This record gives sequence, C-alpha cells and structure tokens, in this order.
Amino acid sequence: MNYTKQIQEIAAKLFAEGKIDVFVGYRMNGFDDNQVPVLISGPQDISKLVFTDKSVFNLVNYLKTDHTRRKRVGLVVKGCDSRSLNLMLTESQVKRENLYVVGICCEGVVDDDGQRMQNCVECMVPDAVVYDELLGETLSGSQTLTGSKPYIVNVDIAALAEKPLTERAAYFEEVFESCIRCNACRHSCPLCYCAKCCIDQETATLYNGANTTSAAFHALMTWSLHLAGRCVDCRNCEKACPSHLPLHLLHKQNESVIFKNFQEHLAGVNPGDRGAFYKYSMQDPDDFIM
Amino acid sequence: MSVEIFVTDKAGLQKFYEAIMANHETYAPVETFGKFDFKRVARLTECDPESPVAKTRSIKPLFFPRTSRVMKYIATSAGTDVSETDEDPLAVKRVILGAKHCDARALQVLDKVYNWDYIDTDYQKRRENTVIISTRCDKADTHCFCTSLDYDVENLDAMDVLIVNGADGKIYIRAKTEKGAGLLNSEVTRHASPVTEESATPELKKQYDAFAASFRLRMDYAEVNAKLSKIFDTPEFENVSGNCVSCNTCAFVCPTCHCFKISDEKVKDAGVRYKSYDSCNNGYFTLMAGGHNPRPAKYRRWRQRAMHKFVYYKERFGENLCVGCGKCTISCPVNISIFEVVNQVAQ
Repeated sequence: MNYTKQIQEIAAKLFAEGKIDVFVGYRMNGFDDNQVPVLISGPQDISKLVFTDKSVFNLVNYLKTDHTRRKRVGLVVKGCDSRSLNLMLTESQVKRENLYVVGICCEGVVDDDGQRMQNCVECMVPDAVVYDELLGETLSGSQTLTGSKPYIVNVDIAALAEKPLTERAAYFEEVFESCIRCNACRHSCPLCYCAKCCIDQETATLYNGANTTSAAFHALMTWSLHLAGRCVDCRNCEKACPSHLPLHLLHKQNESVIFKNFQEHLAGVNPGDRGAFYKYSMQDPDDFIM
Repeated sequence: MSVEIFVTDKAGLQKFYEAIMANHETYAPVETFGKFDFKRVARLTECDPESPVAKTRSIKPLFFPRTSRVMKYIATSAGTDVSETDEDPLAVKRVILGAKHCDARALQVLDKVYNWDYIDTDYQKRRENTVIISTRCDKADTHCFCTSLDYDVENLDAMDVLIVNGADGKIYIRAKTEKGAGLLNSEVTRHASPVTEESATPELKKQYDAFAASFRLRMDYAEVNAKLSKIFDTPEFENVSGNCVSCNTCAFVCPTCHCFKISDEKVKDAGVRYKSYDSCNNGYFTLMAGGHNPRPAKYRRWRQRAMHKFVYYKERFGENLCVGCGKCTISCPVNISIFEVVNQVAQ
C-alpha cells in the first residue's frame, strides 16, 4: 500500500486552487521507518508527505487542536479514521464544508515490529466511508456490512472469555495497577473532544487526580463507557499508552455486545448515525445488562 | 576512597546479583505488558537486569513515586485534624539493579531541584537508602543521544556501582561511591577477583569507545543551548508543536520531569491528600483559580517544556534537564523526537 504520489498531487492541487489552509498527512520521522503526522500549511512542504502501511496514527485527532480550528483542512483517512470522522461530523464537532477528505481503501497497517495490526486483521470496514476523493481499489467494505462477512470477535476478548472469572479479575487488576494516569489514551482518542473532562477533577471521590488503582479503574471505565457505541477501533489509545496496556479490551467487549444486540451497529459507518446509545426504541434488548 | 575494581564473568555476575537479592530489598526491571518496569524482585529469574534501554522505564518512580500520600485530614466541630499518613518514607536500605546510565544521571540532575529552596526529605531518605547498580550500555538505541549532552557519560559518577561488559566475556565491577564500595565488600568478593585500576582502565575505555561510536544522533550541545536561549519568540515553536497531541506521555516516562499536582480523595469532611505526576503539556496545568491561563495555546506549553529542559534548568542549576535517554520519543504515539525538535528550532 503506497499512495505517496497521489496524496502529494492532491495536496499540491488543493493548495494551488486555494481550497485549504492546512493539509494533515504523514511524513517519515527521519530516524527509522516510522512516520510522524505532519501539518502542512503551504505548498513548499508537500514533498514530505508519504502514505504507506506505516501510516498508523488516526489523523482525525488533529481536527480538535488549535492548529486546525476554524481553518479549511485537507485530511487523509483510512477506513477506521473515516468512521471517527463521521462521528465527529454527526456530533457537530467539525463542519464538512471546511474539510477536503482524501479517503484510502486501506489494506491494513503494521505495528513497530512490521506485523499487521490485529484491528486490521479483524477490520470490517477497510474502505473510507466519508471522502471527497477515494484512493485505491475498493475492497470489500460495503459487502461486509450487508452480512457477507461474519463479525469476528476480537481474539483477545475470545481468549479472556474462556478464562474463569477470578483469573479475568486478576488480569484486569494488573491492567489498572499498571496504569500511570497520564491520560494519554484520552488525549490521543479522536472522539474525546470535551473541553473539560469529568476525570480531571481535583477533589472528587472517584475521579481524583491521584494515581491509585481505584482512580485508574474509574477513569478508564468511565472513558470506556463514554466511547461505548462510538469506538471505531483505530487503536490510537494503545499506541499512546506508555504502559502498553491492552486498552482495546475495554472497548471491544462493548462493541461486540452492541453489534449483537443493536441491529449489527458499527460506530460511524453510516453518516448521521448517532450511535447505539443515542437512540431509544421499546424493542431495545436489555438482557446484556449485568 | 580507594578505587575498587573487580573482574568476573557472566556466571559470577549472576551470583553477585543473587547474593544481593538474598540480602537486600532489590528492585530490577521486570517485564510487564511488553516493557520493563522496576519492581521488587526476589529471584534473578523474575527480572532482566540487561533489559534493552528502549523498553525500560526509568527508576524515577522509586524516588518520586507516581502517587504519594501527603496527609490525611478530618474536619470536626472542634477544628480540623491533620495527620501525617502512615506511609513510611523508606527507612529500608535497598538496591536497584540494571539501572541505565541515563536514569542514574537523571537523579543527579533532580538532586539539584530537590535540594533547592525546599528540601524534600522523603526524596532525600530514598536517595540515601538506595544503592544504584548501573550497567553501561553496549550499543546506543535509535533515539539515544546521551553522549551529545553536557555530562561525561564515560566517567559518570551518578551510580554507586558501575558494571561494564569487557572483551572476552569479562565483566568489570567498579565501586563509584562509599555506599557502592560497602556493598561490594560484603557481596562481591566471593564471586569476583580484584584487579588494579591500571589493568582495567584500557578495557573500560575500549568498551566506551565502541559504545560512543554506535550513536547515530549527535549534536553540539553548547550551540543548541546558546541558540535556544535567545529565541523565545520564534514562530518555529508553533510549527514544531503542530503534530503534538498533548497526550503527556513524554512527561510521565521522562526520568527528569518532576512536576506534580495535588488532589484530594474526599468523602464528606475527611480526606487524603495525594501528590501525583502532572505535565506542563496539560492544558489545565497553568490554569489559575480565577480562570486565567498564562499558557493557553499548545505551542506555548511545548515551548515551556523544551526550554525548561534545554535552557532554564541549565541557567538556574548548571545542568541540562534532558539526559538524552530517548524515552519520550519511543513512547510518543506520533513519534515526535525531542532531539529533532530542539535542533530544528535552534537552526
């Protein structure tokens, strides 16, 4: 997967036509084969842009920063990224007319060790769902949604589900114990855009800023539940976590329950879809509630 | 203090480590979730003192814990009772194995601020009661640049015991402080034989030269420091901070970052006050009670972090706050390199 040339051409065209103020893409970090997101504000830096299977970070995150606010932005999105963009649009966080979206038909990205990331292996929506221009061959994105490809339960969730409750509890205890409360997961999540977050309180009983296991538990569980039905599994949070915690477990369990119980709901796939927990119907099941 | 140098082999070193673990409270790198944290260990099989530098977290949390209790309080009709917590500020002697040179150096830098206008007695006690054993790296990682900074890595005296892998499987153990010499006298003599400084020095130098040659990142520290100190207002900070997601990971893994916040775990009238890590990259870090925030924009917070590391601390305490370990770059979700950024800004 290499769309470097096409993306450079598109960016050059957009700047030449004066359609954008800033273009958000990837560049090489200059030390190894890893990439750094880059915000380009003029045609002089276009040659830096690249796109390969090392273009991992979800760039929709940058739509919530000072550098893009109230600007016309060009943006590269993969399948999962475009779903989070869809949610940002639905939740009125960005204006569609301010964006020029370059969608990618993603063949999956790789981690630091060159292994295909697990979320890409299990991905059901590899094609960008919102775009002005689509690069690459359309894969099976639209087909999978109609049910031709079965929903794959995450391998780690499946492995955990087989363990007895005490073992699972001990495992998660270690996770929360290892959390250092840096909140990097929250900051790197494109859908955590609240100006003031409830876990940033100084004197609350549950959400105090202290780095105790109980505070970590409450912060992470609150975060997980605020993203229930919204998480698009881009794994920005896991990339950011300095403790290398398996944060996807907190989201994938929610996702699989929602997929099963709410008409095969996948977050952000349909424009204007407000998410499973924003809708209410008398027919909603409740047997999954603990 | 006379210089004490011992030579041994891998098996002897392991016996030395095991003897330490048997007789002292020992902390060493333990693998958790794919990275190494310094944890209490009882056996050598539980840990890896040779853990790779890129995957090892710093030893800072053993001196400045990520959360510590400051006090307990309870408000009654007669007034407010404030008590010290029951936390013991470490009267126990302990030993750290497998610390990296950069981590040991970081403590030396931190000592300056902890001994400044307010003397942090908990930190001091922890420092006094800890013996640090540090192995010199054999090869630099992609993001290491310790040799480019303002301290002498070869003759670093921040650790109590220095271990160097010499040629032909020989391992040199050298006491650097009185504390280290005391530990060696009681533990190492059975597993290693003493050598003279004259015979060991060329070996140590050879190992250092090979290590120093393996660095890919080099910079002229004096020049970068001098240039940065003059360009507070450069718009370049706005450019380089563009792709930062303000996640604070860098500050939390940094061996020298020492900002903290105070928070209360409060139920009705009683509570516990905690001191925990914080980062100057946090938007609310400088937010005042009245609502004013002197660093409202991301680039200002970024500038503060870079300048504090490379300029302010040097001006005030004579040491550079960054030790060149590369932990921030390795942990950064978007792979921002502090080395690249300061060099780019200084250009």
